[in-house]
Amino acid sequence: MRDLWDNLPLWLQDAASVLALLAPLLVLALWLLRGFAPWPLVRALLARFRWTNALFVGLIAVSVAMGIGLLAQERGLRAASARAADKFALVVAAPGSEMTLLLATVFLQPSDVALLDGETFGRIAGTENVEIAAPLAFGDSYHGAPVVGTVAGFVSYLAEGRIEGRIWEDHDEAVVGASVALEIGAVFSPAHGHGAGAEDDAHDHSRLRVVGRMAPTGTPWDRAVLIPVEAVWEVHGLANGHAPQDEEALGPPFDPAYFPGTPAVVVKASALWANYALRDSFTETGRSMAFFPATVLTQLYAVMGDVRQAMSLMAAVTQVLVAGAVLAGLLILSRLFRRQIAMLRALGAPRRFVLAVVWGQASALLAAGTVLGVILGFGAAAGLSQVLSARTDMQVRAVIGWDEIRLAAGFLSACSVLSLLPALAVLRGRISEGLRG
Amino acid sequence: MALPLSLRDLVVPGADGPLLQVPALDLTAGALLGIRGPSGAGKTTLLHAIAGLRERATGRVLWGETDLLALSAEARARFRACHMGMIFQDFLLFDELGAGANAALAAMFRPRPERAALRARATEVLDHLGLPATARPVASFSGGERQRVGIARALASDAPVLLADEPTAALHRAAAEALTGDLLRLVREGGRSLIAVSHDEALLARMDRVLTLEGGRITDDSRGVGG
Repeated sequence: MRDLWDNLPLWLQDAASVLALLAPLLVLALWLLRGFAPWPLVRALLARFRWTNALFVGLIAVSVAMGIGLLAQERGLRAASARAADKFALVVAAPGSEMTLLLATVFLQPSDVALLDGETFGRIAGTENVEIAAPLAFGDSYHGAPVVGTVAGFVSYLAEGRIEGRIWEDHDEAVVGASVALEIGAVFSPAHGHGAGAEDDAHDHSRLRVVGRMAPTGTPWDRAVLIPVEAVWEVHGLANGHAPQDEEALGPPFDPAYFPGTPAVVVKASALWANYALRDSFTETGRSMAFFPATVLTQLYAVMGDVRQAMSLMAAVTQVLVAGAVLAGLLILSRLFRRQIAMLRALGAPRRFVLAVVWGQASALLAAGTVLGVILGFGAAAGLSQVLSARTDMQVRAVIGWDEIRLAAGFLSACSVLSLLPALAVLRGRISEGLRG
Repeated sequence: MALPLSLRDLVVPGADGPLLQVPALDLTAGALLGIRGPSGAGKTTLLHAIAGLRERATGRVLWGETDLLALSAEARARFRACHMGMIFQDFLLFDELGAGANAALAAMFRPRPERAALRARATEVLDHLGLPATARPVASFSGGERQRVGIARALASDAPVLLADEPTAALHRAAAEALTGDLLRLVREGGRSLIAVSHDEALLARMDRVLTLEGGRITDDSRGVGG
């Protein structure tokens, strides 16, 4: 049985789980509606209190949308940050905070970190199974966009080769991220530092020309200006990583004696399995540390997960409260048509028929509210995604997935079972008294 | 198909003593019985007891061979569905539905094979009463038209017995007379029994037999003009 389930395609498992959640609703509907045709009456009751009913549907929709929006948003944010870290399998840096380096490298959040020296870099670059060892040099910016020095190989790797124009071939050329407001051919001077403290004219002597633009990656690097790491060093009056007789050279190998230092090295291994061995060999007490950004993110998610659970709980409580309020409202409404209910019984309608009518009305409201809530939740998640994308420079895409569908299905199913209660309450009245009004 | 009615030792208890006491009453099948009496005399209580709607009534309410009070609430509802049509003072229609849907209301809960015949009969009776079975909501109908829809609903399931509670009280004089004529014609044509609670002397005058209720007891049992 277990094997059979595991062998089912994923979508089938998901669909089956939704169906299982809806099962109580379906069983109840089958039992109540079998042999009856109560829909004209249900429609009549819905029409009679149309504004109240519309309000109920609205309340249910908003509560469902909140729950769904939160779930979808959180997942979208998580997926986006995982995608942002995708190209940063292994980061080597001077010993310090992994979180700070994660923010500095993957998310390009400026921070002061210690530097790795040329000897260490040389050893990293020379290790077997290291395909790319990219020094990253942060600190400068252009109109708010971080200017990052690195090597051409890493730029190609980041953009997966999709570069409009070309990669740099000289020290004064630059490649920009997809959302940087610089055209190909534009000439600019990077400012020293970031944000309000940036000194716009500190590097006026250095002029760089944009020669290429990376395709969008959906990561904070879309906002970055990438230049040869040699250019960053030169702008700051440092050696440029190469011996004086070879100072026009671009990219690796670097000469350790003329290597000014780099805050972080991103390592791409030639094979996935090599990463663990590389991490171990690059972790040297007092000299360097190596870590997987994905692992640090996972720790971050664990913390965020608690927050998510708290948010989910609040959303669930809201949903329960709204559902309870709506059921109480239906109970009160049902008092208004108790004469008609008594009349139905007097005409010989079975109890099950009366249940079917009152339950049908409640379930129609719940179903309409839930479906509307899923749509609203999708819209809200999409809207929030845009805000988050703008704030984090990550492409956050919140889509309604099976988790959200399950939440909606479970809510609908549970509430429709509960809505038997007002229906049963209606039946408790005496027919004779009901007819007298 | 017509059913005779026998009441024996019927007592409907109330908070302060019995609301209704009928030691014995027999009604032949196809008879038209009027019930009159001052307000609070127990007329509607008697009508409801006869229909099996008073759950705490004791004694026997025999429709043919069936003792209604010995049945469960569901079985009584089934019996009503098959054998009784009911007409109410304020019609108790579903305002949002049309004349046809209101008249064929029972089709919503009767077994599927009976539905078509029931709808056809509802349309036929409406037609007989000069009302088209339109989808126009009955909310826009006049009182007389609404009560005709009520009559069509009571007759749609071809019940041998009709119970009416003040069927003309909500109508003005002319409408009441026209409705009485239509109702009695349909009842007599179909050989049905009619038990009608009413203050309407014109209606009562055309019944076979008229009971007078006072303080929950039958104080007079007279033959009407029709008998």
